[in-house]
Amino acid sequence: MAILEVRNLTHTYSGNSPFMNDAVKDVSFTVEKGEIIGIIGHTGSGKSTLVQHLNGLLKPTEGNVLFENEDIWENPKEIRKIRSKVGLVFQYPEYQLFEETVFKDISFGPRNMGLESEALENTVKEICGIVGVKPEFFEKSPFDLSGGEKRRVAIAGVMAMKPQVIVFDEPTAGLDPKGREDVMEIIRSYRKATNATVIIISHSMEDMAALADKVIVMNKGSLYMFGTAREVFSHSDELRKIGLNVPIVSQVFEALGLNNIPLTVDEAVEILKKRVGDNA
Amino acid sequence: MDNIIEIKNVTYEYTEDEATHIAVKNLSLNIERGSFTVILGHNGSGKSTLAKMLNGLNKPTLGTILVDGINTLAEETEIEVKRRVGMVFQNPDNQLIASIVEEDVAFGPENLGLPPKEIRQRVDSALKAVGMEEFVSSTPHRLSGGQKQRIAIAGIIAMEPECLVLDEPTAMLDPKGRREIVDTLHKLNKEKGITVILITHYMEEAENADRVLVMNDGEIISDGKPHEVFQNVEMLKSVGLDVPQTTELLYALQKNGFKVNTNVISVTDTAREIKKVLEGV
Repeated sequence: MAILEVRNLTHTYSGNSPFMNDAVKDVSFTVEKGEIIGIIGHTGSGKSTLVQHLNGLLKPTEGNVLFENEDIWENPKEIRKIRSKVGLVFQYPEYQLFEETVFKDISFGPRNMGLESEALENTVKEICGIVGVKPEFFEKSPFDLSGGEKRRVAIAGVMAMKPQVIVFDEPTAGLDPKGREDVMEIIRSYRKATNATVIIISHSMEDMAALADKVIVMNKGSLYMFGTAREVFSHSDELRKIGLNVPIVSQVFEALGLNNIPLTVDEAVEILKKRVGDNA
Repeated sequence: MDNIIEIKNVTYEYTEDEATHIAVKNLSLNIERGSFTVILGHNGSGKSTLAKMLNGLNKPTLGTILVDGINTLAEETEIEVKRRVGMVFQNPDNQLIASIVEEDVAFGPENLGLPPKEIRQRVDSALKAVGMEEFVSSTPHRLSGGQKQRIAIAGIIAMEPECLVLDEPTAMLDPKGRREIVDTLHKLNKEKGITVILITHYMEEAENADRVLVMNDGEIISDGKPHEVFQNVEMLKSVGLDVPQTTELLYALQKNGFKVNTNVISVTDTAREIKKVLEGV
């Protein structure tokens, strides 16, 4: 079942001025409930502008965004309602931490949705359990945490609203390898616990190949490709043409001239085991 | 050996919330002139503190750092140290100051009080060195992240430093921007003989370095050629780092009983290793 549908979406910045610029041009795609969608594309390709339409933060210049078959702009006065259904985690979300304590910061979203006292506390604790915010952090100031922990708290704040779709804009940017792995683990845990639909913008082809069911490739504001991760990463020449690539492990198998191209290290090991086994 | 930087028993302490922290612990290290060194380490491992000590922005609490033989602690020669070691930081937007590319690159040489003709030459040559000569009259804020960061590097190159220290210059860039920066640094290293010290969280950027240093808790815990350092997969993971996916693949194959060497990094060499296995059957 489709949970989100983007129909012929165009977004023009500074319309009717000399700086008029189509940031997103005639983009259409459908997201099925429970899918993990990866969005790749170089800086300036329109990825961030595109996802800011999914929770009504930006209004399409042309085209529509449908949530469960209803245009989210049907009644513009009600647009805020979509924000609790589609959660958006911005780039560097830790810059938006503001409360005195970690617990208050994570409670902010669900409290705004009307949750109170015990129900609020239970929701926050549940999310903290899923994403690994330890109880001893609850009364700390978020500003006293390390960079990686701050980001964990900021992500938990969006998850606490229990959105049906959660969108991440480069959630691992600027983190060290351990921090990146932690964030990917948070996303996997949240999904496992809630079956939420996940949309994630990333520069890591390796992460997208391992995680995403489908991949959207953006180039110069247009949708350049949309398909399963396997389909998209089978077009290595087209991806390279627009400054992207396939995962490194796929590049190795391309260099070997094999037809069977793996997307992950585990797949690569299986392919080689089978090959050696068949030849033995 | 001709060393541009000599670090002897250096410790760096700082005080925060009335507690003393040691960011760098009794570290000794020489950097050879003309070499390309990559420093890896998780956030808080002491890399940035060390980097800032190399041009005197941070002063060692204990021990000495000599840059081209000059002690970074000596106030009267501070400018000499800064002239020899140029720093580039993570966010290009914080490093660009002028509204036109050439003015931005000229800022450093102008402050050195050089004659206009010399400044012109240095600006043109620096922009050429980073492959941005056609953007001489552009506005920096309209450029891509990778291009902006190359302008920031050009601004430093125009001061003609012996050594470039870059603290995560690619952290905010996309893969294309990252490649542009790493390629530019190798070019500057080979063609101009500039010593490069690159701090990064992206393991693959270490692939073609002469030397890789791994820092943890203010100490160097691994030091060698890239393929030597990346052999220690478990150790690197235990200190919050990673290995390139090629190494991860070879390591996984070895664990599964395949006879492959894990001491190669490039895609081509990795493919060759696997080919040997396939043909050996």
